[in-house]
Amino acid sequence: MTWLRKRAWIYGLLLAVFTWWSMGKTEFEWSSFREFDDAVTFVREQFFPPSFDIAPNLIDPALVTLAIAFLGTFFALLSAVPLSFAAAKNTAANPVLYYLLRFFLSILRSIPEIVFGLIFVVVLGLGPFPAVIAILLHNIGVLGKLISELIEAADPGPQEAMKSVGSGRRIGNLFAVVPQIWPNVLSHYFYRFEVAIRTSLILGFIGGGGIGQKLINDFNSFQYSAVTVEVLFIMLLVIVVDLFGAFVRKRVI
Amino acid sequence: MIELDDVTVYYPKAEEPAVSGVHLSLYPGEFVCVLGPSGAGKSTLIRTINALQPVTEGQVLIQGKNLQQMPEADKRKWRSRAGMIFQHFHLIPRLTVQQNVLTGLFGKRRSFANAVGFFNESEKQKVRRVLEEVGLLDMAQRRVEALSGGQKQRVGIARALMQEPEVFLGDEPVASLDPGTARSVFGILKDVHDKQHLMSLINVHDVALARSFATRVIGLAGGEVIYDGPPDQLDNGNLERIYGKSIHT
Repeated sequence: MTWLRKRAWIYGLLLAVFTWWSMGKTEFEWSSFREFDDAVTFVREQFFPPSFDIAPNLIDPALVTLAIAFLGTFFALLSAVPLSFAAAKNTAANPVLYYLLRFFLSILRSIPEIVFGLIFVVVLGLGPFPAVIAILLHNIGVLGKLISELIEAADPGPQEAMKSVGSGRRIGNLFAVVPQIWPNVLSHYFYRFEVAIRTSLILGFIGGGGIGQKLINDFNSFQYSAVTVEVLFIMLLVIVVDLFGAFVRKRVI
Repeated sequence: MIELDDVTVYYPKAEEPAVSGVHLSLYPGEFVCVLGPSGAGKSTLIRTINALQPVTEGQVLIQGKNLQQMPEADKRKWRSRAGMIFQHFHLIPRLTVQQNVLTGLFGKRRSFANAVGFFNESEKQKVRRVLEEVGLLDMAQRRVEALSGGQKQRVGIARALMQEPEVFLGDEPVASLDPGTARSVFGILKDVHDKQHLMSLINVHDVALARSFATRVIGLAGGEVIYDGPPDQLDNGNLERIYGKSIHT
């Protein structure tokens, strides 16, 4: 008897072959790790000490980044909740609509925010608004899928109870399902909010405004000590959102 | 009056029917206990009466009207008059006792009023009265997860009472409870039944409970009615026919 069965060895071998192939494709070289010393020196010499004197000028761009992330994900949540009920097997009113919506959500999810951003910057012009739309569309797809899966995993008992008291389908679903999934919906929402802060930075690189736009401008003009402060602001934003999310979840649960 | 006329139910892909050729007439005031081994068709039978389970053949007649052929709105109306109590309570987690009980009114109110949670003074008084009846008034604001099994089932009964039902349907309402709590919950059911002169059809595994409380017993085996009569005639021979083995009670 061995701990690993024959099948496990085959999977291990396949994994090793795929890893070797990926390393070839990405020009992965162990010897390159020696150059990391240079990176450490570069960061130590160029990024420090941080230029904290620019901090007052970063407050407004940081708030713009926060607003982009919040508005994009909040409107996405508002859109995704009703769509999820039509895209969940156990609550969908119409099987054709169910498959169409699932397909629609997959499409939204498969297009990265940066692609939406590039399109909307061209169509709507530079600024935070195209970034909000890019985050909104992608997150409808993500939250729609996550919430519809939560709905499908909900205990069917309360739904049956609502049906047995003569309640209509929509009200029955609302009362039987929403209280069950709400803490997890919030959890997913705050995670996506946190991700959206990082995404809005990238969108700033292509003209989406906020602290990301400042960061890329400073990086391109070799103002690395300013970049350090901008990165610290971003870290602060993510930590604040994470703490706020934990506080809200604790209150709700 | 409720009549089951040659009712047969097949589940999808099942070769044998869950309920086969059942003829029954149920009258107001009757407290009927349905006995039978697991898989005998007890739950299916109960669920045909409020159209949670459609029948494959035959018909369920509610005051002479074929339930299967009723429009969905009429089915909902009927369900709002048939209080159902479930083995696993089917309460809505995270809501309070009072909020769960108020959902019993959902079939009788407008969707908008339900969605916004607006309840008038008489409805609030009613929920207090019902909670008092099942002995849970002091727990009205507690979340249902914090309750014991017996208390949860009393919330289930209170929700059914809010419907002002003509019929009580119980799908093994005491199967998840210890014997003492089961007897106490059954006692509440019977009290409410007697006070409001309801028609009750309750699935139960405990023969002693059926003997103590029922005015009529129906025995099911393999989806067919094996026994239909008063509890005092339910002798060991009948029980052996229902359960397929000797039962000592």
